[in-house]
Amino acid sequence: MTGPSPTPALAELRARIALRAPSVRILRHRGTCGDAVGAAMIPFDLRAPVVDAACDGACWAAPAATVVRAGHRHRFARLDRGVPEALAACVRGECDERQAGSGESGVAARLGRNDGTLADVLAQGGYAGYAVAAGLPPPRIIEAAHAAGLTGRGGAHFAAATKWGLVAAHADAAKVLVVNAEEGEPGVFKDRHLLEGDPHRLIEGILIACRATGIRDAYVYINGQARNARAVFEHALADARDAGILDSSLGGAPVTIEVRSGAGGYVCGEESVILNSIEGERPVPRYRPPYATDAGLFGRPTLIHNAETLCAATTIFDSPPPPTKLVPLSGDVPRPGLYEVPVDGNMTWAGVLAMAGAAPGRVQALLLGGPSGRFVLPGEFDAPLEMHPLGAGGTVVLGPRADIARITRELAAYNARESCGECTPCREGTQRLLELLEDPATNRDRIDALIEVMTAASLCALGGMAGRPVTSALAAFPEAFEPRAPSEGSAP
Amino acid sequence: MPADQPRPFDRDAPDASARLEAAGRGVAALPRRRDQLLPALLAAQQVLDWLPREAITLVAEHVRVPVSEVYATVMGYSELRLERPVPGAWRVCTGVACDLGGARELLDALGAALPGRAAGTDCQFLCALAPVAVDPDERLHGRVTADRIAALARAEAPAERGAT
Repeated sequence: MTGPSPTPALAELRARIALRAPSVRILRHRGTCGDAVGAAMIPFDLRAPVVDAACDGACWAAPAATVVRAGHRHRFARLDRGVPEALAACVRGECDERQAGSGESGVAARLGRNDGTLADVLAQGGYAGYAVAAGLPPPRIIEAAHAAGLTGRGGAHFAAATKWGLVAAHADAAKVLVVNAEEGEPGVFKDRHLLEGDPHRLIEGILIACRATGIRDAYVYINGQARNARAVFEHALADARDAGILDSSLGGAPVTIEVRSGAGGYVCGEESVILNSIEGERPVPRYRPPYATDAGLFGRPTLIHNAETLCAATTIFDSPPPPTKLVPLSGDVPRPGLYEVPVDGNMTWAGVLAMAGAAPGRVQALLLGGPSGRFVLPGEFDAPLEMHPLGAGGTVVLGPRADIARITRELAAYNARESCGECTPCREGTQRLLELLEDPATNRDRIDALIEVMTAASLCALGGMAGRPVTSALAAFPEAFEPRAPSEGSAP
Repeated sequence: MPADQPRPFDRDAPDASARLEAAGRGVAALPRRRDQLLPALLAAQQVLDWLPREAITLVAEHVRVPVSEVYATVMGYSELRLERPVPGAWRVCTGVACDLGGARELLDALGAALPGRAAGTDCQFLCALAPVAVDPDERLHGRVTADRIAALARAEAPAERGAT
């Protein structure tokens, strides 16, 4: 897989903002992951410059550093246990096995493997996709997104080309793009990594989507706790602005990008809630229709995309575009972290677990999708992965000792706490579901009936999918819900 | 990196009016439009560490939204605080990955080591470094143990927090 060749405008920009990096350097992986385990404190006493980078997705390795030489990258893990002599040897050129991912294509190609400067990002192929898009008529960009099979990575996997077409059809010049980087689903940490580790990719994706649809104004709504992600993104945005990239130095029309912070609440990841939040209304879902593509933010035609979707949009001109999904993997697994998984008809859960060092025989189930998710059983581990069932990708590996019943009640309690209260099926249903789970064996029929109502009648997907883990757990692990001691998992 | 965490506002403290004025300046820097409601609330909380009623009124007047609606909005956001936080408190993530990583045992041990200063909290999105804790300055710590937190808590200067 290769990216597109640089256009003359991009070649000029690369020459103007050239990377002047030494032949060998050490990337110290900090970011939220590294800093949470003391990466800033690791001493390096080596004859090579040490520059800070973000987490490269190998969270398990933190605190880690990657030695970068021409055409070569080698990651050294768990430096809290000491900086190995092998790292110094690698700096001297004495190591051959590449260990830090291919770094050549895909959404995570540059993730945590750049020093945060625009020069480094440009040297690694940044903005090549936008440079191509800027020279194409918008319908051709939409065709490319369609051909690449680009779908919404926030979980719904709606075809991006369809959305782009709906918004492009509006002649209204006031139409707007809203980027959902709220990422409030427990167990998901991909957008934070993208914002911290390769913020220019999101900017590039925004510019491509704007070019495809004729949008000139974008809002990026970032999770309120992800302060480092916001700071890094704003820094990159300033660099892109200074380089004229937002102002058509690569072609295309000028685009303004405004950053907003959220302030918590699971429901704030729901797209219509974000619209209300930006407008200063209560953070609750909107009734539909009208759909956002017709009347969204401030009543304007609005394109809403998850941050990962726009990052994936930067790869639609690659040949071929990588059909990948970011999977944040945690739980009972030796190498938890963010994995870019090929959804190519060959990759399976068994393959993903192998990448993370887990023995499938030691896995009871996977929790896929957190409080809106379901349990994936070992019987499904050898089936090829498909994009849509992956949802947002958040996966927790549950080992043999994981208490499925307790986890299920915790998820139900979480949904009850996080229900925004706007619609009755969710507000009352999530509480009632939690109560019924006190004695699921006796209440089984009532649980099924309640979940049917919540699924059909809730205003948004939080309520609509709140019963999913419960249904899944009751079907897959009925023995875990047999009569038992009083609950320990009710709401605090 | 997280900004320096402010001390929780105390309306009986001698600097109360000065701090409210500082919050007011942060809010006044924003345009007087309804879409600035959440940015204004965040600006006030950035200075005061929570949102006392004085801050709510100040924000409501600035963005021209009724106080009742401001309260209704605040209650939709879990990170906006209408109550003064406990100074010096540690929070342990109780999300699924941290739970699997021993968060409950950690919370029990911490409750004994730091009475009244340890609580659970929802997913902190650092799941790959479970178990995870948040310190009083809102910094995240990964792969924590009760001993490690107790050591960090002892290293904090108690005089700097809470005694407003």
